[in-house]
Amino acid sequence: MAPAALILLKAVFLALLYLFVFWALRSARSELGTEPRAVVAPVSTPSSSDGRPVPRSLALTDEHGATIGAVPLSGAVQVGRSPSCQIPLTDTFASSIHARLFARDGSWFVEDLGSTNGTYVNERRVTAPAEIKVGDRVRVGRTLLEVRP
Amino acid sequence: MNALLRWRTQLGLTLGAIVLSVGAYVLVTLGLTGETPHGVAGFVALIAIAYLAADVAIVNLVPGADPILFPTAALLAGLGYALIYRLNAGLAAEQLGWLILGLALFVLTLVLVRDHRSLDGYTYTIGLIGLGFLLLPIVPKIGETINGARLWVRLGPISFQPSEAGKVLLVVFMASYLASHRELLAVATRRIGPIRIPEPKYLGPLLIAWGVSLAVLFIEKDLGSSLLFFAIFVAMLWAGTGRASYLVLGIVLFAIAALLGYLAFPHVQDRVAIWFHALDPSYIKDRGYQLAQGQFALATGGIGGTGLGQGHPGLIPFVATDFIFAAIGEELGLLGTVAVLLLYVVIVARGLRLALTQQDPFTKLLAIGLSSTIALQTFIIVGGVTRLIPLTGITLPFVSYGGSSLVANFVLLGLLVRASGTRTGEASHP
Repeated sequence: MAPAALILLKAVFLALLYLFVFWALRSARSELGTEPRAVVAPVSTPSSSDGRPVPRSLALTDEHGATIGAVPLSGAVQVGRSPSCQIPLTDTFASSIHARLFARDGSWFVEDLGSTNGTYVNERRVTAPAEIKVGDRVRVGRTLLEVRP
Repeated sequence: MNALLRWRTQLGLTLGAIVLSVGAYVLVTLGLTGETPHGVAGFVALIAIAYLAADVAIVNLVPGADPILFPTAALLAGLGYALIYRLNAGLAAEQLGWLILGLALFVLTLVLVRDHRSLDGYTYTIGLIGLGFLLLPIVPKIGETINGARLWVRLGPISFQPSEAGKVLLVVFMASYLASHRELLAVATRRIGPIRIPEPKYLGPLLIAWGVSLAVLFIEKDLGSSLLFFAIFVAMLWAGTGRASYLVLGIVLFAIAALLGYLAFPHVQDRVAIWFHALDPSYIKDRGYQLAQGQFALATGGIGGTGLGQGHPGLIPFVATDFIFAAIGEELGLLGTVAVLLLYVVIVARGLRLALTQQDPFTKLLAIGLSSTIALQTFIIVGGVTRLIPLTGITLPFVSYGGSSLVANFVLLGLLVRASGTRTGEASHP
């Protein structure tokens, strides 16, 4: 085969090789921007008799602010690393049975259960059962539990 | 990206990989003999069936899998085969067998590992098996020393390098361990002089894994893998904890290890001397011959290369394993080597993007670890061949001749593809 033909074939080969790279990078780019976005449904806020919204659920976020999930508030709820807790956490800074949340006379309270790293309401350490209202942030280890209506 | 588009992208890229692999093979034969090869139809059929079968397996076994990872690796493996065929037809026949086995194990990985997160439950088992694989060549009778490095195991007629499998297992171990302990490792509670370190209790298993793998590799005299393990270890610790101090600590520890290695081992001193003096008259025909020939090959190739089959890469010792990058440089030039490096960039970028889009810490760390492995291994061998760093003989992933490496890298790719198909963290978004 003539040398010129081989040079031409080599050029075609290299061009196709770059075409492959270009195509791979382009398909990678076309994938961006089409990620499904999480749709947050609007929540109606029922109110109690005195007009304040009643705590009905907790929104859980990790230390980076990423959402872990939401838990409805009913009865008595324990928080901790133990799987027996109603709100089990994977947070390594939380104790096994870290704190409990309970309702009394239509209000909700949080109580620390002798945890190592403490329980905080709006970054103030809880030493006795403390009332929590909508919008309060309860911190257990590195996990934030925001009180939602 | 919807499923149909993803499937079309993957199929298109795989067909591109097949065309380019066959094209390289035909060009090699044309360049060597001036004629088209007789057996080309058989080769086309084999490659096409093997690659398309793997494609179908991905689409069926991993819904939502990354469509770019497999075709890119398949192209690298196809190019590697054509180059090995050009260098040594006997080795090429073996490599084709290894390639088929690698693809089979790639599919088997996808079949057996239905959810890569199940591996997270076997942290220490996987870590111990990984260390066991590293230790295997030291065992008398089955361990073998080839070219001064004791990293082979012979079982009956088959000999293989267990450190390649150990590499993948240790990345899984580190991902799993760091996923559950990264927060504890990110907090420095103990103080040693001016440096604050995390609880030794949590650092222990990592240091043991690191120390043992380094010790083993020093005993086996496999400097390339030793460097690779160290770099993967530091990269994952950094990624897991988000603390740059681990990076600094890693570099300091590396400097100490490198200095001690240099002072203690003549073969390390030799590598460094060759790195500096490869082209000196007293080295060039003797100790520096391999590296010098590699440099000449790259220089001969220039921008566009001599054309496949038309250079003399066979002059370089161990060209099919350690110096295949120089052979690419000679026959496809700078353009060819840059294209090959870009293919690695594509794989690594896909892996890192996967880490960014996933929520689950284990998946993130696994993706970072596996893609760093490909990136670092490529850097270490290409850096060695181009004399940026001292040469340590490891394989160019997917391209070099070597069954253990090819098969292990396809299993690694299988884990990456599997992880790409599992969208973690969706449960928290209703």
